Amino acid sequence: MIIEIHKLYKKFNNLPVLNDLSLNIDKGQTCVIIGRSGCGKSVLLKHIVGLLKPDKGKVLVNHKEVAGLSELELSSLRSKISMVFQGGALFDSMNVTENVGFSLIEHTHISQKEILERVEESLSLVGLGGIGNLMPSELSGGMKKRVALARAICIRPEIILYDEPTTGVDPIAADSINELIRSLHDKLKVTSIVVTHDMKSAYHIADKIAMMYKGRIILEGTPREIRESKDPVVHQFINGIAKGPITEAVDNFK
Amino acid sequence: MFTLFFMDLGRKVISFMYFVGGLTNLAVQTLYFTFKPPYKSGRIIEQAKKAGYDSFPIVSLVALFIGFIFALQTAYFMQRIGSELYIASLVALSIVRELGPVITALIVAGRVGASNTAELGSMQVTEQIDALETLAENPVKYLVVPRFIALGIMLPILTLYANIIGILGSYFICTIKLGITSSMYMHVTFTSLLYKDLFTGLFKSWIFGMLIALISCYEGFNVEGGAVGVGKATTRAVVFTFIMIIAADCFFTALFYFIFP
Amino acid sequence: MIFGKTKLEMKVGIFVFIGMVILVIFILSIGGFKTWSSGYHINLNFNFVNGIKVGAPVRFAGVDVGEVKRIKLEFVPQESRSNVKLDVWIRNIIKIPSDSSVWVNTLGLLGEKYIEIMPGIDYSHSLKHGDCLVGVDPLPIHQIFNNAESILRNLNDGIIKIRNKEGTLGKLIYDDAIYNELQALVTDVRKNPWKLLIRTKEKK
Repeated sequence: MIIEIHKLYKKFNNLPVLNDLSLNIDKGQTCVIIGRSGCGKSVLLKHIVGLLKPDKGKVLVNHKEVAGLSELELSSLRSKISMVFQGGALFDSMNVTENVGFSLIEHTHISQKEILERVEESLSLVGLGGIGNLMPSELSGGMKKRVALARAICIRPEIILYDEPTTGVDPIAADSINELIRSLHDKLKVTSIVVTHDMKSAYHIADKIAMMYKGRIILEGTPREIRESKDPVVHQFINGIAKGPITEAVDNFK
Repeated sequence: MFTLFFMDLGRKVISFMYFVGGLTNLAVQTLYFTFKPPYKSGRIIEQAKKAGYDSFPIVSLVALFIGFIFALQTAYFMQRIGSELYIASLVALSIVRELGPVITALIVAGRVGASNTAELGSMQVTEQIDALETLAENPVKYLVVPRFIALGIMLPILTLYANIIGILGSYFICTIKLGITSSMYMHVTFTSLLYKDLFTGLFKSWIFGMLIALISCYEGFNVEGGAVGVGKATTRAVVFTFIMIIAADCFFTALFYFIFP
Repeated sequence: MIFGKTKLEMKVGIFVFIGMVILVIFILSIGGFKTWSSGYHINLNFNFVNGIKVGAPVRFAGVDVGEVKRIKLEFVPQESRSNVKLDVWIRNIIKIPSDSSVWVNTLGLLGEKYIEIMPGIDYSHSLKHGDCLVGVDPLPIHQIFNNAESILRNLNDGIIKIRNKEGTLGKLIYDDAIYNELQALVTDVRKNPWKLLIRTKEKK
């Protein structure tokens, strides 16, 4: 599955969030999008899965424009894309098993036994076997995130979009999530887009890193290229320096 | 000062138009998905329990008191003109035509409507509705349709309960305190009622049920700004639902009065 | 919420079932006997029905036995008058003698109109389905007033004559002559009571 984003514009309340954003992601590639919090990374992900419609520009998944899909086509597209939300977005009214197996229960006619097996398999992949009967409110933040990841991989998707998968998770769990993303990439050839500002994780999993700033991609390249970039904005971000062009731009408004 | 007032008014009118438009849009989508397979009964049953079964105690309690109050209030005047016998018919007509449907709808709007808005609102805030959509499930079909159907069926049934309990409340007052015989009371009650009265009441409560479901879900979907937003939306939902119920009641009462006199 | 729901379904089931029972109770009670017992139709002819409505009760010997189903106003050319034909439904078990008298009556304070049937005696010829009965026309209010007015006018004339000391009554009330004569008679009789016992001798 190839994702092409072409000259995307999106405004919220007359505030430009995406401003002439273009990005291509090849099949089986893991692309990490970095950028400051609130710069519109989640908005970009929501465009790819068709939750938001662009003001201008196109998002093509497998050469088809997402915004122009019919209800049925969109439904079949979404059975191949999963998204892991920032806070997990687990359904509070259902227990972990029902959450993870949601798509299978609602959309397929697989037997109950098989569904339970698939759910258990996904849960043990994220290292949480045997918690199927707990409710989301009984889980910690990190566990919720991993259950959300299990829900995303349960449908065996071709594309997974991660919205800050390692934020708020303890370092060990974060590393196991990184490992999981890598192994999905290596074994199942899943195309992934990871939005994060955790640079350690970014270097570890990325085939390609794209830096997003002021609503557009200002630089894309391999982890090595990014690390050695001379661009002052990228340099300030990846090294986490308080003083630099990014913060100055904000300070100038005051 | 004046310009400020009119600007505020203008903004209110515009936001009301947004509300009407959005509500209509939601209503159309809900109707579309109501009749579109696949049909899943599990969620409807769940909502039906929340809307009907769980609301029964409060509805019946209020209906009983309304029956007491209305009988005493009517008796106060009827005894002056010496026609206590007509208390039964007046109470029966008022409860079956107006009080039963409206009181039930208001209680359910406060109870079920508010909980719908809060639930959908917090789902919206925690991105659960987005998650639902990425899991290829239409939120309107999954969340609104079950509530819409459940309330549309349960509210008329709750109204039936409220009717019979309200009449029973008035019956106790009349037979125990006012000395009207039991059989006389029942006879007057049921001879004064017509099918028309019963069915206009039930029709109205059906409309109210759908209104409650639509408005509460609409407000829930449009929550912005975290927990505070959920609180605000819940208040708005209850207020709007109350207004719409009273307005719809006025409209349909007038309609039935002029069309089926 | 997907696996296993039986208890929930039972609760909702009980709730809906009782609701339906209440609905049935309402429907049966509102309809009353009218819907469920069988009956027959008779026609009543009136010249004037004083605003009776469809659904008005019919009382036979003061008991509710049926209701007015249809009201038809028709013109009778041979008599050149309008006739009001009431289609009336009567319960099966009620036998109405053909010489019964029928009229429109008014009930109580609120003025509800109903059909009153006073039973006759000829039970050998009771009415059958489709039979006709001619109703006694109720007096329209204005006619009652007209009658009352002419009666009052006549009374008034008499009273005026009495006032004017005309006629026997007038003289009786206003003329002292009779009173004086009577008083003289009484005094005379008291004085000479024997006058009552002894027959006065007639002069020969």
